[in-house]
Amino acid sequence: MSSTLYVERASPIHRLNPVTKLVALLCLLVVVFAIPQWWASLAVLLLVIVPAAISSGVAARLARSAGQLLLPILVVLVLVQGLTYPGGRTVLWQWGPLALTTEGLMFALTIGARLVCLVLASVLLVLTTHPGDLMSALTEQGMSPKFAYIISSTLQLIPSFQARATSILLAQQARGLTVPSNPLRRLGVLMPLLGPLVLGMFTDIEERSTAMEARGFGSTARRTTLVPVRDTRAQRVARWVIPVLALAAILVSLRWIG
Amino acid sequence: MIVLREVSYTYPEAADPALHGIELNLQPGSITGVVGASGAGKTTLAKVIAGFLPRVDGGELTGTVCVAGRNLAELSLVEAVGQVGLVIQNPFNQISGAKYTVREEIAFGMENLGTPRAEMAARVKQVAALLRISDLLDRSPYALSGGQMQLVAIASMLVLRTPVLVMDEPTSQLDPFGTRLVFAVLDQLQQAGTTVVIFEHKLELLQAHADRLLVLAGHTIVADGSPTEVLADERVDGWAIGSTRYTRAARLARGRGLLPVHGALPVSFEQAAATFGGAR
Repeated sequence: MSSTLYVERASPIHRLNPVTKLVALLCLLVVVFAIPQWWASLAVLLLVIVPAAISSGVAARLARSAGQLLLPILVVLVLVQGLTYPGGRTVLWQWGPLALTTEGLMFALTIGARLVCLVLASVLLVLTTHPGDLMSALTEQGMSPKFAYIISSTLQLIPSFQARATSILLAQQARGLTVPSNPLRRLGVLMPLLGPLVLGMFTDIEERSTAMEARGFGSTARRTTLVPVRDTRAQRVARWVIPVLALAAILVSLRWIG
Repeated sequence: MIVLREVSYTYPEAADPALHGIELNLQPGSITGVVGASGAGKTTLAKVIAGFLPRVDGGELTGTVCVAGRNLAELSLVEAVGQVGLVIQNPFNQISGAKYTVREEIAFGMENLGTPRAEMAARVKQVAALLRISDLLDRSPYALSGGQMQLVAIASMLVLRTPVLVMDEPTSQLDPFGTRLVFAVLDQLQQAGTTVVIFEHKLELLQAHADRLLVLAGHTIVADGSPTEVLADERVDGWAIGSTRYTRAARLARGRGLLPVHGALPVSFEQAAATFGGAR
């Protein structure tokens, strides 16, 4: 059983220092949210995220994980904004008070493109970065180990939550619980299992916290690492250049595109 | 080495203490076994000795806990864990989740304490050889069986070389080979001067390896002595700690008329050999 979403590959993206990836992610998100045009997000998606996903060897997994998250959000976004956008004038199709407008669709496209960039880039970081490497890299950059652990352990929350939920469900099924195929009924059956799930997670967190303290996690000594996190001079330079490029892109878009 | 005076502990919002009236004086380089039925207070006592209670949950501790002459209440948690290592019951939760390989996982505690890289590598290698997990060093900690994970959890504490080691059911997921291996390692630690307190249910192994056996019942210590004395105590059935396989075999033999009705039942292999040899 894996407790992380990390997918092991020998790709150039995997080999990047986690802080380089984090800086790139943050800059990328600032760019897509600062530039109001939808095509800016599309450009980032096609020129940065898609090539990075393909070269990392996790494109299929990324599409699956991000797709599950994005698809319902995008459907709701297009329906709500396309049909109810207040500034919509160019009506493409109308049914009673509901009017599908070009302006509404363009607004949904702009927001949707940003969300696609946000989710794909974030999930790509998670899939290509081991939480341990992220923690070590952040600590090496001077971040508090406790804060770094919170960030890296958050990446593990989903798989450990899934594993615990599965074991609780199996235990209940072994005691005669039947899970109906109807989604609403299924929800009704599964809701009572949330209690043990959440309580169990709290107990685990408390015990893990004790175990971490027992291993000197609260120490203020200068930490050392058994295996140093990969870093290069080029990446150290890139961590300064990427934010400058992002700022330049934003300024160019504000000055000449509006 | 470890001295507890009139120690009682009550969890927050609990009406009754989880431990009360605990008096204990453990010598350096000794192995002390602690047995007791579920809910007797074993894990609470382990965490009190290791200095985690009341720090982590804010309960009420009365009395004093001293390790190497220093009152744990006056030490910071980091100072306390430098004196007493704690192996918790669930090995899955002992794994930090922050490391990519077993090798790094074992080194995690040393990294926190700023141990130089070369020394970390040497200690990891040594402790892995001791627990026979060298072949697991490059695997993910989450790709291990429960027993392997338990050995890694033990290794991750042994590598810190604390003068005192408290182990809360450290063999619960191990097969018989792994269990005997852990007890053999405890013997080596004892020879190196480490004080070990082990909370366990495996009475035969405690009888063979521990210098002293404590019984917790009703949230306090009800028996304290050599394992052979304690396990032969006539009150043993009332403590719900079970009995050794030698005692059970002798009871069976007595029930079938193969052993005399009177006389003490054996608790150890040597005693059983003498008893059954005498009967023959």
